[in-house]
Amino acid sequence: MSSRMIRSFQGLLLLGLSIFFASKAASGQLTWYINARFVPLTIFGMVFLAVLAQAVFTEIRRARQHEQEHDPEHDHHHEHDHAPASGSLWVMLIPLAIGILIPARPLDSSAFSTKGFSTSAPLVSSDSSARIFETESEERNILDWLKLFNFEENVTQFNGQSASVIGFVYFDEALETDQFYVSRFVVSCCAADGFAIAMPVLWGEALTLEQDSWVLVKGSIETVILNESRVPMIVAESVQSVPAPDQPYLFP
Amino acid sequence: MPAGFFSWLWDRLNVFATVFLGIFVEAVPFLLLGTFASGLVEVFLDRDQMSRWVSNRPAAAAVSGAFMGMIFPVCECGVVPLTRRLFKKGLPLSAGISFLLAAPVLNPIVIFSTASAFGWGEMLFWRFAISLGIAVVTGLIFSVENDAGSILRPVLSAHEHDHDHAAPGASFLEKTRKALLITVDEFFDMGRYLILGSMLSAGLQTFIPQSALLAIGSGPILSVLVMLLLAILLSICSTVDSFVALGFVNTFSFGSILSFLVFGPMVDIKSVMMYVQVFKRRAVFYIVAIPFMMSLLTGLIFNYLIR
Repeated sequence: MSSRMIRSFQGLLLLGLSIFFASKAASGQLTWYINARFVPLTIFGMVFLAVLAQAVFTEIRRARQHEQEHDPEHDHHHEHDHAPASGSLWVMLIPLAIGILIPARPLDSSAFSTKGFSTSAPLVSSDSSARIFETESEERNILDWLKLFNFEENVTQFNGQSASVIGFVYFDEALETDQFYVSRFVVSCCAADGFAIAMPVLWGEALTLEQDSWVLVKGSIETVILNESRVPMIVAESVQSVPAPDQPYLFP
Repeated sequence: MPAGFFSWLWDRLNVFATVFLGIFVEAVPFLLLGTFASGLVEVFLDRDQMSRWVSNRPAAAAVSGAFMGMIFPVCECGVVPLTRRLFKKGLPLSAGISFLLAAPVLNPIVIFSTASAFGWGEMLFWRFAISLGIAVVTGLIFSVENDAGSILRPVLSAHEHDHDHAAPGASFLEKTRKALLITVDEFFDMGRYLILGSMLSAGLQTFIPQSALLAIGSGPILSVLVMLLLAILLSICSTVDSFVALGFVNTFSFGSILSFLVFGPMVDIKSVMMYVQVFKRRAVFYIVAIPFMMSLLTGLIFNYLIR
């Protein structure tokens, strides 16, 4: 490949990546890959990639003008700038190809077999648990409930509190037929560190639900023993199908 | 082939794509910042300034190199091209190696993120103290070599002359333009290793259950080894790894998590990919092995002696 072709290819790839980021940001799918906290950083990356593409295209134009003004034979060795070998450029097509060819899908129960799932959540700092304690019980999400159960000594105090959580359905062989898990992925940084958390739900019509479908579960909390630890179970009064939320993951 | 197999494969492919793009999207802005810093260093910093700032005595150079991350806040993706550039500008070996290893931890962003995960306490203190120690010791070990040329792969030397001669007397705009083009070249140069590394990491995460790894590690020795392995495997950015480490607080001891936080920023799949591109094989071996042994030792000392 000639130097100019390599530069053109570089420019197109940079522009392509920038557009890819922009389309993910516009469709709201960025949070399928990363914690919402890092979205501004990706926006910065998107803008910077466009600036770099612009710099490359300007360079191509300058080189062309330069060639027209001077005798190309004579001047050629002087302004040739070292673009990397073309081999390194093709690799940059991989993320674009994966992003375009494989339909985007957030992590779901099919990732459980390797990522695992848990009915307890890590302790963060005590003040955030104190904050959860203050919130209305119906405002708490799955992560909040699991944190509370990890943090508090006396968990039976939560029995009978009303709960209302959104998550996707997961059937586990260890559960009875009138039970299912309502689950969410927790992502600290990006999907690579995602892990699933879940609360068991007691509901007579559990078998009518579909694996991975999103539901809003309303009911009351009951403490049960699962895998030798005390976890919050929701005794459901209603389980409604809901559309998948814009942000499928919870961010600690 | 049964249909079940294909749907299983399709599911795995989806997990792979999501995890891979997760690492990639997360890392690109940091790689851009690192390569841009490298471009700026190339056009705005000359060799004389460098020798005025950094001492040539190995010990002093190693310590100052370790703290250079406070000025260049880069994580492990950005630090590799920047280090190569600084070597080219005449940075002493011991300083460059300790910068390479320490900068992803000893910088304002990571201090802040570690503090917000673990609080201003022991974990923060030990993470920084031990990372500093490992970086300085490794830097000193490397100072037995004469100059950076003996550990760097020769790729850059072909580059060398042609960026230099445009510099003198060029306008600010012209220099910035040059810096942007260098950023582009290095972004592609390093980006392919970032991509290959992320693919490998995502592939392993798609097929090896994390629970299997966690199940091995409960003893004081094995748990450290498991956390070190996990640090390599996950390949997450040092700016956020403390939030991930938090997830293991209930399962793993203080020492094991500390070794994860010390070792992860120095060595993981994607950074090793980039090291191989920049350094000669033998140098990469030491850059990986010395921090590994010292992080392991750290974990063991904490597990057995301190708590």
